[in-house]
Amino acid sequence: MSIVALFPPKVTDDTLPLRLVPSRCCVCGTDDGEPVGVGEDFEYWTSPDTFLAVQCPDCKLVYLNPRPAVEELARIYPAEYHAYDFSAKDFGLVYKIRRRLEARRVLAYASGLQAGARILDIGCGDGFHLKLLKDFGDQSWQLEGVELDERAASAARKAGLTVHQGDVEELDLPADSYDLILLIMTIEHVADPAAILSAARNLLKPGGRIVIVTDDAASPSFKMFSGRHWGGYHFPRHWNLFDRKNLGQLARNCGLEPVRIKSMMSPVNWVYSYHNYLADRRWPRWLQNRFTLNSTLSLTCFTLVDQFLTLFGCGSLLCGTLQKPLKEERP
Amino acid sequence: MTKPTVQTPVVIIGAGLAGLTSAVYLRRQGIPVQVFEASPHLAGLARSFESGDGFTYDFGAHFITNRLAAAVGFSAQCINVPRYGESFWLKGRPCRYPFGFAQRPKFVASAIAAKLNVIAKKPATAADWFRGKYGRALADEVAIPITEAWCGAAADSLSTAVGEKIPVSILKTFFLRLSGKLSRKTVAIGYCTTLPESAHVWHVYPRGGIGALCQHMADEVRDCIQTESPVEAILTDGKRATGVRVKGQEIPATAVISTAPVHILAKLTQGTDLLQPLSKFRYRPMVFVNLRMEGRGLLSDVIVWTPGKEFPFFRLTETPLSMPWLAPEGKTLITADLGCQVGDDIWKMPDDELGRLCLLHAKKLIPDAESRYDGCRVLRTPLAYPVYLNEYEPERKAFEKSTGIERLYSVGRNGEFAHILMEDVFWRTRRKMRQLVKEIQ
Repeated sequence: MSIVALFPPKVTDDTLPLRLVPSRCCVCGTDDGEPVGVGEDFEYWTSPDTFLAVQCPDCKLVYLNPRPAVEELARIYPAEYHAYDFSAKDFGLVYKIRRRLEARRVLAYASGLQAGARILDIGCGDGFHLKLLKDFGDQSWQLEGVELDERAASAARKAGLTVHQGDVEELDLPADSYDLILLIMTIEHVADPAAILSAARNLLKPGGRIVIVTDDAASPSFKMFSGRHWGGYHFPRHWNLFDRKNLGQLARNCGLEPVRIKSMMSPVNWVYSYHNYLADRRWPRWLQNRFTLNSTLSLTCFTLVDQFLTLFGCGSLLCGTLQKPLKEERP
Repeated sequence: MTKPTVQTPVVIIGAGLAGLTSAVYLRRQGIPVQVFEASPHLAGLARSFESGDGFTYDFGAHFITNRLAAAVGFSAQCINVPRYGESFWLKGRPCRYPFGFAQRPKFVASAIAAKLNVIAKKPATAADWFRGKYGRALADEVAIPITEAWCGAAADSLSTAVGEKIPVSILKTFFLRLSGKLSRKTVAIGYCTTLPESAHVWHVYPRGGIGALCQHMADEVRDCIQTESPVEAILTDGKRATGVRVKGQEIPATAVISTAPVHILAKLTQGTDLLQPLSKFRYRPMVFVNLRMEGRGLLSDVIVWTPGKEFPFFRLTETPLSMPWLAPEGKTLITADLGCQVGDDIWKMPDDELGRLCLLHAKKLIPDAESRYDGCRVLRTPLAYPVYLNEYEPERKAFEKSTGIERLYSVGRNGEFAHILMEDVFWRTRRKMRQLVKEIQ
């Protein structure tokens, strides 16, 4: 064990506070949320701020209020942010297992698609899911991604994928053209989920589908850790956290029909809830590192836990399938 | 998103925490607001005074929580409060709250007897309530004398609402204390009643004094605050608030939000006598004597309650134990709280004499107090605490629900006539404003 592991570097107490802006419930449009959790950036310590997660009394949406201003994104997603760490060797066995598991899942999202179908992955990151579709899916599918972050987008392009870099609302993508749009672990990061969903709807062919995967803010891990350490808060990067009901409501607000919203297994929020607890209490770094995406043991244990819970419909994630109506009727 | 549907502003009387919370909330809903503040300063009771010699004075011991600081986006400017605790000075020695009481057989026996008494009647006064809840010994020796000194009225003339504001779950207190020990944070206990207590909510204090919090909130609405503008009247049409009069000028309002003490609200409101019952409501005037002393840690806890009749004060507070930055290094500040009436001997007593009086009695707790004494600063306020007299309890209960006049809201510690602290003021005011927004949109 190294000295660094025993004495983790001092948290960034001396950095400047973030510029924070007020937010609202993206489902009801109201500003009535009351506190459910208060915490810090336990994973990257990117600022000295404390953040407040509030819950809308009407629809139960959990959202960050206030939240960082959009110009602070570069700071709260530091260069070492895990989604930007693209080397397979860092994740080793976990990476391989995750790839297998995710391959099965994305093929299920794409089931029933015809030859030549157009698929768009919004918030595609380094193109992990697109790559899976490319490797395991129908070779005639046309795959495209949208990614805001330049580093991630260029990593995806290097892997031979078509990626549009920018904001999906501003990119000039063709309307009524896509058969399937994926929003995997994306919607919780964005400032205006309704705008993203509406933009996605416009890009879909009538009858086309959106598959949306996000953290479930009614899951057992949330209930256990909601006061401070819940992994799904991912302070201050997750701005809106849904449950089954308000995700359906948001979809309907955007003119989409929720076909089904089901529970999905993920060990990540469990692992990070424990990580955050340890990090908050300043336990030694080597112990904290037993609870990250690099830790095979804790990922395995919590995969079993969450798989069991998923049998009862209370896994850590939600997977919603939303359809654009065949007949055009604006909400 | 909400669109502005009203052009006439909502008028807010007072730029303290409640007034500013209202202004910020309404403005964010797209509703125009106008704040009138009588004094030249912002922050009201949540104001800090710096004396230039390194001491900072608040109105009593103020702190907020990490939750409130995060809610107003001011957390990075706050420091964790290193410690907080309360003791009672009983028979010449300190007894720590709450576990010190458990070591005194008399208190334990009478508390158990009270718990076992299942046929007890519903309490009608604060005195009955304390005896039923804590047992006769603890009530008569501790709770009742303190309440009487605090409120300036006999405990059997006070309503049970006095006691209902005090947290009673020993188990919860124990759990929160333990959590605080583990996380090394000063977990807030019995501080906020509007939101659930939690092991993750602890005391923090803004750098630059408690007033900095209100300054930060005021930044968002500064252009609609008018200081040195006392509201002379609240205008109504008999049922509904329609405007205010400021400097002789009538200003129409969509709604009026008052943070004024309720007996003053009754006086200000014209065109109806619906608020007349409020003129009977009493606040307890208080003199805070801040003794500057050499050294630190002179009291056994941040707050030491002195229920003994021989003391002119009912409580001593050594705020620098919680907020070391309020006094220069090696010095401390001990605040004595003296209940009084406006114009009585205590109220009129010169500052030096008050200092000496408090020192004389503080010597019982701090034997060498005299040699450490380095002068004092006195703050007097005619309205420190609401007094819940049984005499107007039905009217108070009705007032808790609404003012009885449409579009007239009364918020804040003074405005609600409630013994609430900063976080309660913030969240309760927001809830009332939510109600107002529904009413006017």
